Formats: sequence, C-alpha cells, structure tokens
Amino acid sequence: MANKNVLGLFDNADTAADATDGLMEVGVNQEDFDVLTGSPYPEGAFGEKTPVHHIYVFPLIGALMGLSVAFLLTSGTQIAYPIVTGGKPILSFPAMTIISYEGTLLGAVIFTILGIIFESRLPRARLDPYDPRITEGYIGLLVTCPEERLDAVDQALRRGKAVDVIHEGGRSFRA
Amino acid sequence: MHELHHPPTPVYWGMTAQELTQDVVQRHASPGRQFWAIAGVLAGLFALGVIGFILLLTQHGVDNRREWGYFATAFAYIFVTAQSAVLVSVALRMAKAHWRRPLARISEMFAAVGLFNFLLLIPLLWVLPPTDGRRSIWFDWPGRSPHLWDTIAMGTLVVLGLAILYFASIPDRAAVRDQAGSEPSTKWRGNVQQWIVLNRGLAVLGGFYFMLLIVVHMLISVDFAMSLIPGWKDSIFPAFHALNGLQSGVALILVTMFILRQTTGLRKYLEVDQFWGLSKLLLAISLLWFYFWWSGFFVYWYGRTPAEQGVLRYIMFETYWVPFFLAFVMCFALPFFILMWNIVRKTTWGPALAGAIVLVGTFFNVLRYYVPAFAVEELSLHSLEHIPTANLPSFIDILVVIGALSGAVLTYMLAARVFPIMSMWELREGQILQRVRKLMKIEVKVLAKPE
Repeated sequence: MANKNVLGLFDNADTAADATDGLMEVGVNQEDFDVLTGSPYPEGAFGEKTPVHHIYVFPLIGALMGLSVAFLLTSGTQIAYPIVTGGKPILSFPAMTIISYEGTLLGAVIFTILGIIFESRLPRARLDPYDPRITEGYIGLLVTCPEERLDAVDQALRRGKAVDVIHEGGRSFRA
Repeated sequence: MHELHHPPTPVYWGMTAQELTQDVVQRHASPGRQFWAIAGVLAGLFALGVIGFILLLTQHGVDNRREWGYFATAFAYIFVTAQSAVLVSVALRMAKAHWRRPLARISEMFAAVGLFNFLLLIPLLWVLPPTDGRRSIWFDWPGRSPHLWDTIAMGTLVVLGLAILYFASIPDRAAVRDQAGSEPSTKWRGNVQQWIVLNRGLAVLGGFYFMLLIVVHMLISVDFAMSLIPGWKDSIFPAFHALNGLQSGVALILVTMFILRQTTGLRKYLEVDQFWGLSKLLLAISLLWFYFWWSGFFVYWYGRTPAEQGVLRYIMFETYWVPFFLAFVMCFALPFFILMWNIVRKTTWGPALAGAIVLVGTFFNVLRYYVPAFAVEELSLHSLEHIPTANLPSFIDILVVIGALSGAVLTYMLAARVFPIMSMWELREGQILQRVRKLMKIEVKVLAKPE
C-alpha cells in the first residue's frame, strides 16, 4: 500500500519534541518523520534523524574544475605564444596566479549555488501537507506512513497536543 | 547593575515568534508614503546622473580619460563601501556573533547595489587603456586582460553577493507569502535538511565572498588606479584599499541602521547592542587605516627616489593634498577620537556619527586615487616627469557622482521591497537560543551554544 503524509501542527516546540516520543510508540521511526519550522532549531532537538547532506562536496568539485580550466587556459596560452620576459621561464606561476584564483573561485561559487539548490530539493516535485503558521513559529511534524497506519499516527499526534492535524489531500483535524 | 556594562535586553526577545513575523511582514508590505517620496527624489537625481553620463559620453568620448576620473571615483566609491558592506554580515555570521541578527539582512541587501555598480563598470572598460607598454600586474598577457578578468571577477562577486542575499532570504520570502495567504511555494518548507543546507551553504558562500572581495579590491585598485600613475608600485596599496572597504562597509551599516531606526519602526530591533558591537570593529579598523597608510607612505617617503617623490607629491602633498587631508582626518583622526570613548560607543548616535564621517572621508580617499590616476596622459613612463594639475569637478562630474550615488541608494530601497529588511528567521533563531536569567542580584543574557 502507498505511503501517505500527515502533518501535525504544534504551537510549542517542547510539545512537538514530546510528541515525537508518542510517534515512536506507534511504530514511527526517526526516518519516517520530518520537522518543519520557521527558523532553525539545534540539530536533533526534536529527536529527528540528522539528514545526510553533501553540500561541502559541491564547492570542492567546482573549485577543482575551475582551477583545472584556469590552469589549462593559462599554461596553454603561454606554451602556444611563448614570450620570454626578463629571463623568466615560459610557464611562470606568478603570472598564472590571478587567473587561476579567479577560475577556482568561479567554479566553486557556481557549484556551491547548484549544490544548495540540489541539496535543499528546490524546487520540490510534490507538495506535502503544509500550514502557513509554520513561518509564524508553529512546529510541523510531517509523518510519512503506510495508509493503514494513518489513524494510529493521527491519534498519536492528537495525544501529543497537536493544534491541527492535516492529511494529504486536505482532511484536517483542529483541536 | 552598572548600566554602562549591561545593555538592556533586546525588546524583540520579549515578542512571540508570531508577533515578530507579523510585525516585520506588515512593515514590508506597506512601506509608507515617505518611502515612495524619497524613492521619487532619488529617481529624479538618478535621472540627472543619466543626463550627466550622456553629456560626458557625447562631449568627451571614451578616449579623453581625464574627464572620466569622477565617474571612476563614483564606481570605486560604491564598490568600496556598498560591496564591502555585505562582508559585515558574512564575517559576523562566521564568528557566530548573535548580536548581528537584526543587521544581517541590512548588510546582505547591499549585494543588490553591487548589481547596479556592475553597470557602472561597463563604460569604464572602454575608458581603461590596454596594458601594452606599461607596468601592470598582467605581465605579458594581452593588453585587454584587465578588461576581461576584472569583469569576470566583479561579475562573480556580484553573482555571489546576490546568491547570499537570495538564499538567506528564502525563509523570509516564504513567510511573506504565507502571511499574504498566497498558495504555498514549491520551494521552501523549512524542513531539517533545508535548514542544515541553508546554514552550511551560507557559511561556504560567505567564505568565498570574503576570498573574492579581497581579490577584486586588488584588481580594481591596481588596474584602475595604481598602474595608471607611473612610479606608483606599492604592494601595501591593494591591502589598504581592501581595509578601507572593510572600514567603510562597517560605517555604511552603522549609518543605514541609524537611518532605519529614526525613520521606520525598526527601533525595537536595532538597539544599542548592534551599534556598540560594530563601533568596536570600526574603532579597530580606523586604527588599522592609519597603520596601513603609514606603512605605505613611510617606504615612499624614506626612499626619496624621483618616482616615489612624484607619487607622494601628486596624491598626497601637493596636487591632491586637500582630499588627502580630509581623508586622513575623516577616516582616522575623527573616528578614532569619537570612538575611543566607551560612553560614546555605547550609544546609537555616536557610532553612526563616526560612520557618517568615515563615509565622507572614504569618498575623498577614493577620489585622491582615481581622479589623479585617470588624469595622467603618458602611462609608459617609469615616473611622473611633471606633476599634472588638479582635475577639479565640472558640472557634469557633479551630476554623474550625485546620479551614481542616488542610483545606488535607490537600488537598495527597491531591493527592500523584494527582500524583507529584517531577517526574521535569524531573529526567531535568536529568540530560541537566547534567554535572560537571574544571576544572584542581576539579570544576565544566557546563550545556548548547541554547536
């Protein structure tokens, strides 16, 4: 049976953190729920699993690519048009430094921007249940579970003092 | 409790997240008639600047470099002040200074001014002579190398600044959307992964902004000023230029905060804490201003070669001694004298006054580099054979400078219509992590440090 999403909305962060214990009791794992907030909370504050991200890999790859292109461009130019200046070697690193530095940063910046977009999943392919009060400081516990366990999750969220429970497709409970 | 050492608890700590969000969003939605009146005046002044630019272009063309000195000054001044101001937020975020939260977006929004300044760079590329036959940092690269690589560097800096502004404001634009009752965006939900990536991503982009800004300072200062004055080869100058940028960036934030405090309802967010924190930075950088200037000057003064003497006479002690004197007094002496007193630092007006003085001083400091540099005709010499006369501003120059500065301020104001000027998510995060607790007979601020 397909998985469904249900969003429990809490007006207090402590209540939301406590409610995750109730979710665990009905068989929801750390991987099965996400926390939606209007500002960042310390990682793990709600007992959620810390997600894996690769944001630091992007600038590294970008920087290496940018440096390689800049190095090829500058060294290739110097070899193609050799001009001996002041007895210096044809391949002079000081003359290549600025362009190499620029290239490195350009690559790193572009890849970091792409990395943030990719790792944040922007834009999202599908819309999960959401409530605008989240940006006002409410806490949303977004639970993904099989359809047959929706009621148990719903009950757990209500017992956890959720002020609203919103189901995928619009069915909602208001405390 | 000694009031000198314990600033009052920020008012916004006492607000709920909901009150804070609604307050900021409401102000963002309706800026008021005063806002549009000022924007209208600035648009008028900018239009005069455009007329001045057209006159400059049609009367003098791009070959008469001397006439573009003040245009170059306007470009360099906006670069030095506004584009460096973004670094204030970046640096304070890196240092995890929690008092920065109310000023974070004020600083980041200067990235939008960078886009405007990039437009000012374009005509200067036609005015800047090729490097063939003269000293430059481009060795034997083709003569148009600075035109290409300075543009790429500046363009990357602008894109980077806009990326920081865009990503940092995503949660707040989502809040504006939610408060307006619009359809939920497909972009931002505020889940754990998104917050982690946003925080880490901003830290990485901020680091790159710092790395790139310093290099762009070097490129602009060397290609558009130092390499155009024969005999001027000062390795400290690019660093001094960057330091002046940091100084005026801090000064610009102080002045902007003071104006916002006085003219908008943001008084409860922009309190003494922010002014006090930045004033200490400004004091330290003002002292460094003197140190960097002295280090560059001393070598030239002691060397006393004809080339060195020519440069000193040209940009410091003869032709442009008035702007140099004003820059020295307003970038070092006056701010130092004002900010050395803690009782003044711990006000909103004291640091803002020092900041305003630094901004004026920086204009004269930039002027004494770029106007003289664009006035030198023979660039292939090893030293100035004769000291050119001072290039005083014409009516067109005044129009161009006023127009450019007005355009920069107008750009900032228009950006404030797109991006909320208070970083709501950072303020709310501050509310989560900070509390006031009783410690014996006093109340103290307590900070949670989860990292």
